[in-house]
Amino acid sequence: MLAKKQSSNVVSPRDLKGEEFPRSSGRSAAPVLLHRGFIGAGGVLLIVAFGTDYTYYTTALWQWANFSAWLITSGLIVMLVGAILLPIDFATRRAGRLNTSSFILVIAAALLSLVNAFVHSRDAWTSVVPQGILLSAVSGILLLVAGALGGWSLAKSRDGDRS
Amino acid sequence: MRTTSLPPIAALISLVALAACSSKGGDPARQYGPTPYLPEPHDYLVPPMSVPEAVGWKPGEAPLASAGLKVEALATGLEHPRTLYTLPNGDILVVESNSPGTEAFRPKDFIAGKIKARAGAAAKGGNRITLLRDAEGDGKPALRTVFIDHLHSPYGIVLVGDTLYVANTDAILTFHYMPGMTQITSPGGKLTDLPGGPIDHHWTKSMTASADGSKLYVGVGSNSNITENGMAVEEGRAAIYEVDRLTGAKRIFASGTRNPTGVAFEPQTGQLFAVVNERDEIGPDLVPDYLTSIHEGGFYGWPYSYWGSHVDVRVHPQRPDLVAQAIKPDYGLSSHVAPLSLLFSEGQHLSPAFANGAFISEHGSWDRSPLNGYQVIFVPFVNGQPVGNPLPVVTGFLGKQDETVHGRPVGLALDRNGALLVADDVGNVVWRVSATQTGT
Repeated sequence: MLAKKQSSNVVSPRDLKGEEFPRSSGRSAAPVLLHRGFIGAGGVLLIVAFGTDYTYYTTALWQWANFSAWLITSGLIVMLVGAILLPIDFATRRAGRLNTSSFILVIAAALLSLVNAFVHSRDAWTSVVPQGILLSAVSGILLLVAGALGGWSLAKSRDGDRS
Repeated sequence: MRTTSLPPIAALISLVALAACSSKGGDPARQYGPTPYLPEPHDYLVPPMSVPEAVGWKPGEAPLASAGLKVEALATGLEHPRTLYTLPNGDILVVESNSPGTEAFRPKDFIAGKIKARAGAAAKGGNRITLLRDAEGDGKPALRTVFIDHLHSPYGIVLVGDTLYVANTDAILTFHYMPGMTQITSPGGKLTDLPGGPIDHHWTKSMTASADGSKLYVGVGSNSNITENGMAVEEGRAAIYEVDRLTGAKRIFASGTRNPTGVAFEPQTGQLFAVVNERDEIGPDLVPDYLTSIHEGGFYGWPYSYWGSHVDVRVHPQRPDLVAQAIKPDYGLSSHVAPLSLLFSEGQHLSPAFANGAFISEHGSWDRSPLNGYQVIFVPFVNGQPVGNPLPVVTGFLGKQDETVHGRPVGLALDRNGALLVADDVGNVVWRVSATQTGT
């Protein structure tokens, strides 16, 4: 629907107006979703926590359990930033429709990880085995499924919506 | 490696169940004596806790003494007074000290630090010893001097002959002492190192001397609640050491004592006793802190088990061979009272009821609701063994509804007139407890 303007040596002021700025492909640029990177980064930290939990399970070396506690806590904090940015994405009309499957999977993983942060605040073996590593595994699987189904974006961008 | 056969679904169900279970502690009296009530251990998402806010004492306020006793402030404005010691000439030494500070390893450590600071546990210690001279014996010391300064989280203190031994958190120091001295400025010699950092989770080094003065006995606490900092840092900790006072040669006399915060010899039998702070976070009524006789080579359970052979599943790998050897303590004091000082009475100066037995200060802990401890008790002894229920001696350290705390009792000593001295490290006071009728 955008008027296709072939670039020329002359750049008119109209060319510089946000959405209408043409890219070399000729397609318009999709608006950047603010929340997406934070959900992805936090999700990675939560998935890695399963790895450190597993290493603690097999070695009983205390520092691995500490790594898990930090990974889960920081993963949740980074995800919380994403959760705050999601409504901003909607309010600023960057986001279009909610990406329902990813939204449900990521929220479920975050809630399980919140419980897991408290499980990991216990001392020594039972901070990980059995409940902690089980929660890490389930939330890790949920995040991987979300990633495989439609990425860790909780909403489609408006541009993506149209295409 | 797998030690549990708990299926995943059962683990998740138990997780939901534990969120709903009650976390209120029961009657502490069930846990007094040689066979305390021991409930099943629990895992928690958030351990039961209650933390009263430290408010100190207003002028005129004081703790309450039991019938026939009165309480007066002997000294105020101290810097976190912990241990008290009476010299032969009647001068009173006040060790002003606190933890050297521990690093936060986990997100939890930051939060726990903030909670404990609210209860007044984070105040800076003076790292010094103050001398009080009450020549008239009227409870109003005319002289107060800084006796030894620039110490490193000192705690235990004992005079043998003309040598004063001071247990810093990482070494026993020696100072030459002459009767009447009011200040020691020499840096002191080092008798031997003690397990200090890294971490130094339980930092206090309680200390006493054998009757003949040849050996020192030092309580060294564990470096964690329950091995969450790894087993390597527990090497040589949670133990009671015997130190030769002349050569400094030392050995572990007994082990498995999680945090032996007070050591003393029972005067009738000459038997070594200790009060020990047991583990946290498996329930408001687990594990009872205890008073016990300490036997050479004895293993008292930590970390693998408590109260004899009750296994603690938080420790991995487990050691059934050591659990089988674990000694049951003599006398339960009930859970999370945090006993910090052990003082045997010497006759009937305060009351006939306190003629034979041990005074114990209960500092109080965060890991229980309702609160427990925050008082000085007396445990009667018969034939060198603790018998019967403890008697309250000094109470009233908590404010209304247990939401505030004025003071927390720590070090105990008898002054030369037989009055009981109580150090209070939140009120920064030394209290003097004496009989009302005889004017001691």
